[in-house]
Amino acid sequence: MLAVKKLNKIYPNGTHALKNVSFDVKKGEFLIIIGLSGSGKSTLLRCINRLIDLTSGSIIFEGVEISKQEGAALRKTRSKIGMVFQNFNLIPRFSVLKNTLTGALTRTGTLASILGNFSKEDEKKARGFLKTVGLNGKERSRADNLSGGEQQRLGMARALMQDPILLLADEPVASLDPATSHTVMDYLKKINKELGVTIICNLHFLSLVREYGTKVLALKDGEIVYQGPPDGIDEKWFKTIYGEEAKEVGIN
Amino acid sequence: MAHRHFFSLLLDTLLWSYTFLATHKIIYNKIIMSIRYPEFSWGQPLICLILGLITSALIYFFLPGLSIGRAIYFKTYARLNRPFFKRPYIYVAFLIFFITLISGLYVSQVSLREFFSHSGLMGAKRIFIALFTPNFGILEESLFAAIETIYMAFIATLFAIPIAFVLSFFAAKNLMMGSPLFKIIYTILRFILNLTRSIEPLIWAIIFSVWVGIGPFSGMLALCIHSIASLSKLYSEQIEAIDQGTMEAITSTGARPVQIVWFGVVPQIILPFVSFTIYRWDINVRMATIIGLVGGGGIGTLLMQYQGLAKWNEVGLLVLIIATIVWAMDTISTKIRQAIK
Ligand SMILES: Nc1ncnc2c1ncn2[C@@H]1O[C@H](COP(=O)(O)OP(=O)(O)O)[C@@H](O)[C@H]1O
Ligand SMILES: [Mg+2]
Repeated sequence: MLAVKKLNKIYPNGTHALKNVSFDVKKGEFLIIIGLSGSGKSTLLRCINRLIDLTSGSIIFEGVEISKQEGAALRKTRSKIGMVFQNFNLIPRFSVLKNTLTGALTRTGTLASILGNFSKEDEKKARGFLKTVGLNGKERSRADNLSGGEQQRLGMARALMQDPILLLADEPVASLDPATSHTVMDYLKKINKELGVTIICNLHFLSLVREYGTKVLALKDGEIVYQGPPDGIDEKWFKTIYGEEAKEVGIN
Repeated sequence: MAHRHFFSLLLDTLLWSYTFLATHKIIYNKIIMSIRYPEFSWGQPLICLILGLITSALIYFFLPGLSIGRAIYFKTYARLNRPFFKRPYIYVAFLIFFITLISGLYVSQVSLREFFSHSGLMGAKRIFIALFTPNFGILEESLFAAIETIYMAFIATLFAIPIAFVLSFFAAKNLMMGSPLFKIIYTILRFILNLTRSIEPLIWAIIFSVWVGIGPFSGMLALCIHSIASLSKLYSEQIEAIDQGTMEAITSTGARPVQIVWFGVVPQIILPFVSFTIYRWDINVRMATIIGLVGGGGIGTLLMQYQGLAKWNEVGLLVLIIATIVWAMDTISTKIRQAIK
């Protein structure tokens, strides 16, 4: 469903963040991207939904070249790709329900959305997805009154509102404690298995990689250094990715 | 690195030229020689400039410790870890400060003799007694004028809000770096706003009183235009300080540009906006009073009239009313701003 070919990203300040990155993602996969901080994981995800422009290369999503799309076509593509963030990026002063509804902006008229007139179906759908991520009963709470784990699940509900076929998760558990991390990852797995949404997820912890990933891609200084099944990442690979000094730390 | 040497030398040259000029023109000519109108020619500042350049060049090469420019542009050279009073350039700074102090006192004609002179003290006594026995006979007239002032400030603020609101998005750097066209709009708008803001409301009032005639309308326009400029700046700074993450998240849903701003930016700035606006209204009420002095209408104009007639009891009442309004506005605006924090 997604084919990234020879992707390069050079930031205006000269940082070469991605170097000739190529990979494919098949429908239903749970792809995990690992790598040291600064290795280009976030940049890669943001190139896929075009939050940042790529320098060169091609991205084919559902058979369409999206790397040069603009305007309405680009918005259409973005609407099919959900995204959740390390810092959740919710609207803190808005209610849980209204935050979820922002996932439906693309199919709501500009004026209607400004006036807060979302369609009845979307509202029903939003409640449904809040239930999916276990936030039913919290619809009217303010987003900033939720715990970290709950905020991330709200981020997922918002993404689900887009009816995405691909979900990008940029270190979704990096600001959460270990126990909460597992809960959040379990919900991601549920979205992957039950709703059939393909997932690309940036992670820090190798133990989570083995538990949740169906495929792993490791980045080092903007280059892919490993691509394959999670069990293929052994001690040797681990050292290549994280450096000689690194030791595997578990998360339980 | 080279530009630092240049700026440090430039700063020293300017400081030394100034020192020579002030010493010669004010301290030597006026104070020591007591010449009331010493002759002036453009050759004098030029000579001071050349002397300043020579002095700072000498300091640059032989006594770098004395250089204020070095201290500012080369943190290491100033040996900032030295105790304050062991840094040579501090004494140069003291010297310049001292010369400026003497010149300043002389130029502002500070004179204790006049301050404590008999006739002076009598005048002060007369005016204070009058001010503290306000004439309540003109209460009605004054209150009407005061209401005019408050309304004037209110309307000026109200009209400024929507205009400043819209402009602020175009004056926010983080929203405007997307395309070259936006960059041009941003640069031009910033320039116009800065220019407008740097002209005091008082000057605007004079301009508008010629344009639309003396009265509350010209005062209102003056306040309005200045409020637009300063609110736009405050608003746009707030927009520049937002958490970009929310905007990114809304963008990633496939939302349209207006929706991105409405959901990704506006919720984060609405409270500070309200707070700034109330603060601005508070300022506008104060300014409206001052603007009245140059014919902007309201209580300031009234104050001007009675002051011109030397009717100090009436002036006393007006001052009392103005003080009350300012105090009340200040209290109310602080309370509201605390409540919405
Ligand atoms: N906006 C930016 N401008 C310039 N350089 C950036 C920007 N964002 C990220 N980088 C640089 O690109 C590299 C990859 O960053 P990032 O994709 O955030 O890595 P990761 O998510 O793996 O920590 C880093 O060297 C980072 O400093
Ligand atoms: Mg990152």
